[in-house]
Amino acid sequence: MKTNKQNLPDKNGFYGEFGGKFVPETLMYALEQLETTYKKLKDNNEFKEKFYSDLSEFVGRPSPLYFAERLTKHYGTGSIWLKREDLNHTGAHKINNTIGQILLAKYMGKKRIIAETGAGQHGVATAAVAARLGLECHIYMGSEDVERQSLNVYRIKLLGAHVHAVNSGSATLKDALNEALRDWVTNVDDTYYIIGSVTGPHPYPMIVRDFNSVVGEELISQSKKLFNAMPDAIVACVGGGSNAMGAFYPFISMNETRLIGVEAGGEGVETGEHAAPLNDGIPGVLHGALSYLMQDEKGQVKETKSVSAGLDYPGVGPEHSWLKDSGRAEYVAVSDDEALRAFHEVSELEGIIPALETAHAFAYLDILMKEYDSSANIIVNLSGRGDKDINTVAEIDGIKL
Amino acid sequence: MNRLTETLANLKQQNKKALVAYLVAGDPDIQTTVDLMHLFVEAGVDAIEIGVPFTDPIAEGPIIQRAHDRALKNNISLKDIYSMVEIFRNKDSTTPLILMGYLNTFMFHKKIIEENKNSAIDSILVVDIPGELNLNDYGIKSSSINTISLISPTTKQDRIESIAKNSSGFVYYVTLRGVTGASNLDSNEISNNVNEIKKHASVPTLAGFGIKSASDASLLSKHSDGIIIGSSIVQMIEQNSVTKEFDRIRKYITEIKQAIS
Repeated sequence: MKTNKQNLPDKNGFYGEFGGKFVPETLMYALEQLETTYKKLKDNNEFKEKFYSDLSEFVGRPSPLYFAERLTKHYGTGSIWLKREDLNHTGAHKINNTIGQILLAKYMGKKRIIAETGAGQHGVATAAVAARLGLECHIYMGSEDVERQSLNVYRIKLLGAHVHAVNSGSATLKDALNEALRDWVTNVDDTYYIIGSVTGPHPYPMIVRDFNSVVGEELISQSKKLFNAMPDAIVACVGGGSNAMGAFYPFISMNETRLIGVEAGGEGVETGEHAAPLNDGIPGVLHGALSYLMQDEKGQVKETKSVSAGLDYPGVGPEHSWLKDSGRAEYVAVSDDEALRAFHEVSELEGIIPALETAHAFAYLDILMKEYDSSANIIVNLSGRGDKDINTVAEIDGIKL
Repeated sequence: MNRLTETLANLKQQNKKALVAYLVAGDPDIQTTVDLMHLFVEAGVDAIEIGVPFTDPIAEGPIIQRAHDRALKNNISLKDIYSMVEIFRNKDSTTPLILMGYLNTFMFHKKIIEENKNSAIDSILVVDIPGELNLNDYGIKSSSINTISLISPTTKQDRIESIAKNSSGFVYYVTLRGVTGASNLDSNEISNNVNEIKKHASVPTLAGFGIKSASDASLLSKHSDGIIIGSSIVQMIEQNSVTKEFDRIRKYITEIKQAIS
């Protein structure tokens, strides 16, 4: 939670032209209340101490920056380092944000917690922190995702939360967000909505970024210690973009480090069947923010396609749109097939099964590593572990479990 | 003069309450929507709110969501809605028409709104922008269209003032915390808030969200300059979309009209 170097968002919640607060009037007061509370607490020493001690004792932070020896040899150019967010409690970076937001909820005296989830990681991370504080918890999840992420659905239930399958629209992450917003509009007085990515109306993209920035902050000190320089590039997958934003943010003013976001190319960006709004979208408003968005020729939000439930989202956090247009970060896309190849490769070479989301970041190393020589240090944000995806991958590989 | 402004001023002069009814364009198809709009007017509706279908209507309850989905299956776009309105206007050149939708649609179709061919549309209500702002603030300029802002039970005092001043068609008071079609009306809260709005607004204040029965309508009309009914009509459209027998709707509107007279 370091001070913002860019002073973004501005007072209205905009990152350049992106961001803002586009919600039904009923929620405006709740957003103001949240912003006021957050501003008051974020620099409060007691709050910071509690946040960092929870991250240390409940999550197990700091997560290691690990030298990927065989992957480095495989490419034969620069050194590849893995930021091990997969080792966090509950198995992904998502817990960094929920630890912070549940403290806000508690401070605001909210009794009921709601959240949306795609791959289920944010649902698990929310259910875990809600259980810890004994708060009622409801998780909205698209019915298609309930199907393909059944392991996480059961984990959420074991943690005492209620799972609501959402059948409307495309029955994926975007529809889960719609339903969570409707719940919030209805129960706004006693309910805290823990948004799981750097998306949604202001102040959420800022809050989620700040709590996840612990990743980038650790990377700065770990890089100094392990290779005595700042990394040449940080690579992270981008769906809504919270793991990428957390890793990128503390580096924004350090121009020597390239920031590379990898979107879900699905069947291939050229086919239109993908989830890569920064590569093939136009600015539009979804879920409270103006950002790059996948739309059809009539201005309707397009259904997305990705093997990875966590990236299967037509929008993206507004700060990523700003980083793209300002040229500070690069955004590329890899296809389902490339991600699956990387999923197997990393498992076999490094003894780590990455989440399918994270596998997208690994897949881009194929292109990226050709641009470097042996002096380079490349960090991949290993945002989550892949246990949740084994059913999906086995099915694709034609294996019955 | 703008039809909506004129109609509401006339009603006020006659000490009458306004009745606004909602449907979704293209639900179940464009021709039926036009027929229903004429039926609304015959039954006593003073202005029609046309829902613009959107894939992600976050302020709508299940009934209106399903209507959006049905319309989207017909591939209805804002351009089609303008053609639909042109057909309606051939027979009815006086009833005020309001488009109600989500910002993404209006931004995407900015040119159509700015042109507002034949001034066919009188007003726009964007569900997902802060009440102090209107389409102008998003670079969409149309002198023939006025904008309606929403105020809800959770809107704070200081914002009520600035939102009320920003509204040009009427102020839309959302009567409950929730999505369209929910039911938890609080008469005291409504009365207090509408009185507060009226202190600041130069335009009438209408109440909507959550009106089901004639008695709801009667109660709300006592506190406001008129009411908006949506989900109950859309539900009747849904139930009769195959037979297209809409006498129930005519009867329902007539009852509501009597209740607020």
